Formats: sequence, C-alpha cells, structure tokens
Amino acid sequence: MNRLPSLSRKTCALAALLALCGATAAFAHNIGGTDAAFVAAARGPDPIPFMYLGAKHMVTGYDHLAFLVGVIFFLFRLRQIALYVSLFSLGHSITLLAGVYFQWNVDPHLVDAVIGLSVAYKAIENLGGFRTLFGGQIDPRLAVFGFGLVHGLGLATKLQALKLNPDGLLTNLVSFNLGVEIGQLLALSLILVVMTLWRRTRAFEPTAQAANVLLLLAGFVLAGHQVAGYVFGGAVS
Amino acid sequence: MSTEPSRPMPRGRLILAILGAAGLAALIVLGAILPAEFNRDPLGIGKLSGLARLWAPDEAVIDPGKSGVAAAQEYATPFRTDVIEIPLGDFLAGADRSELEYKVRMPKGATLIYSWEVTGTSEPRDFHYDQHGHTMPAKGQPMTVATWRQGFGLRQNGALTAPFDGIQGWQFSNASEKPVVVRLRLSGFYDLIASGQPGNEAGIVANVPATEARPPR
Repeated sequence: MNRLPSLSRKTCALAALLALCGATAAFAHNIGGTDAAFVAAARGPDPIPFMYLGAKHMVTGYDHLAFLVGVIFFLFRLRQIALYVSLFSLGHSITLLAGVYFQWNVDPHLVDAVIGLSVAYKAIENLGGFRTLFGGQIDPRLAVFGFGLVHGLGLATKLQALKLNPDGLLTNLVSFNLGVEIGQLLALSLILVVMTLWRRTRAFEPTAQAANVLLLLAGFVLAGHQVAGYVFGGAVS
Repeated sequence: MSTEPSRPMPRGRLILAILGAAGLAALIVLGAILPAEFNRDPLGIGKLSGLARLWAPDEAVIDPGKSGVAAAQEYATPFRTDVIEIPLGDFLAGADRSELEYKVRMPKGATLIYSWEVTGTSEPRDFHYDQHGHTMPAKGQPMTVATWRQGFGLRQNGALTAPFDGIQGWQFSNASEKPVVVRLRLSGFYDLIASGQPGNEAGIVANVPATEARPPR
C-alpha cells in the first residue's frame, strides 16, 4: 500500500461514450470473420498484416480503451501519461508474447472478466474509493502494470484461438504486439484530445465523478458479460 | 505526481455509487445480455422487450476431413443423368421376360442418385426389387457383395455411395398378371454397362422409350 499525494484536479469526459458502452454491452471483441481466416491461413512471417490486426484489435477493443480512459482520467502531464501507458504496455507485452509463445492455456472468458473488473477497479481508484473505504490503496503504477499483464493475457487468448501456424510465429507475434502499441497510441491520442477539451470546460469538474461511476458500470457489465460467457459457454466476445 | 482527484467522493455516495453500478450492471447482464447473447432469460425481460429474438445459435463448423460425416468429394468420372425404361412381361411370360437385373458401374466412393417407379400395376405386392452391388473379381478371387434393400413396392428414391469398385443396381421381378414398365432415373458418377455385359445381361438400352429399350426375344 502506498499513499500518494493528491495533486491533479483534472477530470475528463467521454461520459456519453461510456454510457453507450454500458448500455449496448455488445462488445464484440474477438478477431473474427475474414481476419480470422487470414490468420489461420498465414504461413511464415507476415509482419505488416499482423501489425494491422494488432492495431485494429486495440482500436476496436472497448475493454482496453475503457481501461485506458480510466488510467489517464486524472493524468494531465505528458510525462505521467507516458509513464503509466508504458507500464501498461510493458505488462501486456510480456503476457501477450509469453502466453502465445509458450502456449499458456487460460480461459478467455475468465481473463476478459478480470479485464472488465480492471476497468471497475480503475474507476473506484479514480473516485478515491480505496482510500475512503480501506484507508489506503495499491500504488497505481503497480496496479496499472499488473492489469497490463492481465490485458496481455486477454490479447494472447484471442490470438491463440486462431491456431497460429508455428512457421514465422515469433515475427508475427512481435508484429501483432507492435500493432497493439500503435493502435493504443492512436486511440490514446484521440482520447486525450477529447479529454483535454473536456477538462477545459466548466462542466468537467461536476461531471468527472459521474463519468467514473459510468466507467465503473461499464466495467461491471463487461465482467458480467464474460462471467455469463464462462457459465453458459458460447463464442468469446 | 498523482492520479487522484483532489476531491474524493464522499463515503456514503461512494458506497451508493458502487452498489448502484453493480445493481444496474446486474440488471443489464441479466435483462439484456443474457437474453440477447446467451439465450437465457432469468427475468423475462428478453421476451418482453424482444431482445431474446436477437439470439441465434453459433455456427458449428465441422472439419470434413476429421468428422465421420459425409465429405464433399470429387470424381474423375463425368457427371451424367439417364432415364432407363425397363419393360417387364407378366409373370406368365416366364422368368426371362418378367425378371431382370439392371446395374451401373461405379468407382469406390462415387455417388448415385436414383428414383424409380413402376407403371402398369398399382398393387405393390406384385412387384419385388432387390437392390445390391458387388465387385467384379478376377478369376479365383472372392466377390464382395452388399445388399442395400429388398422388398415389395412400386417405387424407391434415394442415393447410394459405392463402398467399392464394382457394379450397383437392382434385380426387378414382376409378379403381376400385367406387363409393367419400370421408369428408372439416375444421376451421378457412374457408367452404363454395355448390352450383354454382367449387370445388363438383358441388353437394356438407356434413354429410349420402353418399346425400344429391350431387344425382342
């Protein structure tokens, strides 16, 4: 446990987006259709397409994006953002590469449920909830790294579901991971633009807490969806 | 450096927010996601709202190479379709006119779609068929035989996939007091057997009217 001094008073928006996430709840988030066919048919190193798939997966992955929103919600200096995002990237790169390469066998639904809970965790942290309720909290940097490991495990299960050909596996894997980072940067830039605009408005202060409650809701819904998938079976989504 | 809002949410509101979010999430999962995505409707909301209609079963893709089900196959034999009209005399005309065997040659794994019907009598008990196939062994070798269907009746519809290289077909027997015609339609991957060869010893000619299909005695 580690108490950090409270500094930034920034909050951010995306309330509408998050409300949408929570309400629609149809988070199709596997690699599907023709992309899956492509991956299954790939033989040998094919870096550019795999990079694209990684980026696409990240940009269209609501759970990863929601978590990122939570992470940078109260970060307003670029150095802080870079540190937290690097910790997150480090975490998910480790488990993505290791999970696929060493063929770890993890249930995708359970991993995705924990990813949903990571969103909820971050929202509670943003509300100062762990301190209010328990009088302390895990160092946010450690938490973001730890959840990065879980998110990477989620990425790994999605790639593993496609039965990658061992021929050129490492190249394709690293390319996919690189693509994930590129996609994350792209999504992050967009989120930052919206957040910065939001922070500048007077509406930010009163809506910041509401936005984090919505984030909390989105996290719970994501987790519930995945638990249902684990209990009732069915396609990973 | 901090990731905290300077103004944390008050304890009471925080607990309310967490419980509220959890409750609403449970409602969304149970009321919307379960009916729409998993075909479960514990609250009955899915049926009321029509969300349950969104659910559709997953497609189970089978691997034809591994599964025990029929596979898509390709054949060197060209596809063909024939209509064979087989006239059969009444039972008083003698066995050589009222009974005969008609078969086609099929490679192993080839499929034949068949449909035949007897005209000239409406009494199923008057007509007997024996659908079978066998290999054409070299001298001194054993013959592999497969009997598919035997019985009385005036028609048969179906498909046959040959389990071995050989000939497949029917022994037709007319036991009625009237001459009849068997109209046999075939499609698939097979070859007709030349007149007088084993399988077509009666010399039936395909794709001509019944009156021309059989050489006179």
